[in-house]
Amino acid sequence: MGEPAIAIRALDKYFGDFHALKGVSMEVAIGETLVICGPSGSGKSTLVRCINGLESYTSGDLRVLGMEVGDDTRVLDRVRKKVGMVFQNFNLFPHLTVLENCVLPQKRALGRDRSSARDEALNQLAKMRVEMHADKYPDQISGGQQQRVALARALCLKPEIMLFDEPTSALDPEMIAEVLDVMKDLARADMTIVCVTHEMGFARAVADRVILMADGKIVETGTPEQMFSAPRNEITRAFMQAVQS
Amino acid sequence: MAHALPPPARQTGPLVWLRRHFFATWYDAVFTLVFAVLIFWVLDNVIGWAFVDAIWRVENREMCTHDAGACWAVIESRGRLILFGLYPYEEQWRSTIACLVVIVTIILSCLPVFWSLRRLPVLWIGGFAAFVLLMRGGFAGLEVVTSEQWGGLSLTIFIFAAVFVIGMPLAVLFALARRSSMPVIAKSFGLIIDIVRSLPLLTLLFAAAVVVPLLVPEAIQGNKLMRVVVAFAIFFAAYQAEILRAGLQSTPQGQEEAAIALGMPYWSVVADVLLPQAFRNTLPSTINQAVITFKETSIVTIIGFFEVMASGNAAIGNGEWGNQYIEVYVFLALIYFVFVFGLSRYGAWLETRMRLGHG
Ligand SMILES: Nc1ncnc2c1ncn2[C@@H]1O[C@H](COP(=O)(O)OP(=O)(O)OP(=O)(O)O)[C@@H](O)[C@H]1O
Ligand SMILES: [Mg+2]
Repeated sequence: MGEPAIAIRALDKYFGDFHALKGVSMEVAIGETLVICGPSGSGKSTLVRCINGLESYTSGDLRVLGMEVGDDTRVLDRVRKKVGMVFQNFNLFPHLTVLENCVLPQKRALGRDRSSARDEALNQLAKMRVEMHADKYPDQISGGQQQRVALARALCLKPEIMLFDEPTSALDPEMIAEVLDVMKDLARADMTIVCVTHEMGFARAVADRVILMADGKIVETGTPEQMFSAPRNEITRAFMQAVQS
Repeated sequence: MAHALPPPARQTGPLVWLRRHFFATWYDAVFTLVFAVLIFWVLDNVIGWAFVDAIWRVENREMCTHDAGACWAVIESRGRLILFGLYPYEEQWRSTIACLVVIVTIILSCLPVFWSLRRLPVLWIGGFAAFVLLMRGGFAGLEVVTSEQWGGLSLTIFIFAAVFVIGMPLAVLFALARRSSMPVIAKSFGLIIDIVRSLPLLTLLFAAAVVVPLLVPEAIQGNKLMRVVVAFAIFFAAYQAEILRAGLQSTPQGQEEAAIALGMPYWSVVADVLLPQAFRNTLPSTINQAVITFKETSIVTIIGFFEVMASGNAAIGNGEWGNQYIEVYVFLALIYFVFVFGLSRYGAWLETRMRLGHG
């Protein structure tokens, strides 16, 4: 096996005195789909945000596609062009149309010209089945549609890794499936994915591995089958029961 | 199943409308009548004074002695002084064109098509260069007119536009510096902003006009108008920076994070994502600040500039037309009204446009 997409070793993160990540180590292989779950406050978001440098870490080692994610802003720029991210609250730019939301980052991050950026944007919007909303503003479409636009916007930059931080937890139940469906397509197309979610159906369908975090540490790692039916750890067992009931 | 009832017969017509809006209860009726009488009385007097009993043209000013109505002849006779101040009579066409150039520049900058980092600076620099060249002259056979002689409406509009155009980028800079992650920068800009805001505008303008020449070597002093405009712009920027800072704070954290995560460079995060939203969020206060600034331009009189208010005073101050001061002030008020009302309507239009989602 070649170099992993993401390699994290002994990562520590403090917020002031608060120890948010306690020696986290993990690897994500290229093309793998990894689901991270765990109780609130366990450090899932913090871990994911460290991967694209939205959060800095206190000590340890974090490499993305062989590049060391640290203080060097030039490296961070390169990392962010390879790593896309989708947030819980979509974070579309409300003053721009759906199309412009997808065009602007291509122009600014990759220096693409307007017409090729536009073509790519329409292409990705079509894949996410929201191309008919291209000229609307974000507040004119539903949450599920907004999240698919956010995904299209990230994919326009042709990332090699996609990070998701609870992409469906701000959505009404009837819209969750439409977002999970496009994410599953992406996973099956061999995108490298790190996804924080409590949607166990998604994990069962496409995850290669599931990681359970609690209190700033990884308490258990395994295939979805193992984690659901034969958890070794007490916390995992309790958590799985809670989310599946 | 209940039968659908026909809709209640809709009562319409002007009488029904009047009744519903003005005579719904006995005290509504009383208010309506009292105010109707009051409004009628005021309008009758104003119209009587301004139009019916007014004199429009006179052979000589002695004919303006009657008290019943306005004597608008003063505007015809003194209008040029009000509009152009001390600008040489023969050259006033230049001042007219220059004034129009600035007005067109202002109107164009109000249009969203021009709101880009490339177009606005070109427009502004072009507009101001044209204004200064025309006003100053000294090329192509145009007589040189120094800025001490500039005056009237052109000067007012120029000062307002220049303060806005220099002050707005400064305000952006101040606001960004104040929320910088480097404490030294954040603290020192915070201090500058707070000091400027705690000084009266007059003090700042006096310092720029009178004190700076004493302290700064002649080569870099610039002329008095330039110094005053810059001081005024700094004053404007200090207030506008705080407005913008509030706007930046009210945009969700996630916006900046999303833009960073998309690999957009810092300048673009600020210029394409944060500032447009900050301006949207603070539009009413920004328009308000512009209106205040327009009205405050009259303060430059005190340090010897003949803007429109001072020219108006000069028009009546020399005694000849001394009795027609009301007419002159009404005329001045109309000029201010056109600009300030235009600004606030523009603000309202922008707000509606943005509520609909655009730009
Ligand atoms: N900027 C911050 N400053 C201080 N403490 C923080 C900050 N961000 C997160 N924390 C703390 O770090 C811990 C981990 O936060 P994190 O957001 O990573 O949890 P999470 O697992 O994503 O939880 P959730 O499921 O609620 O999203 C929490 O206790 C949180 O209060
Ligand atoms: Mg979280």
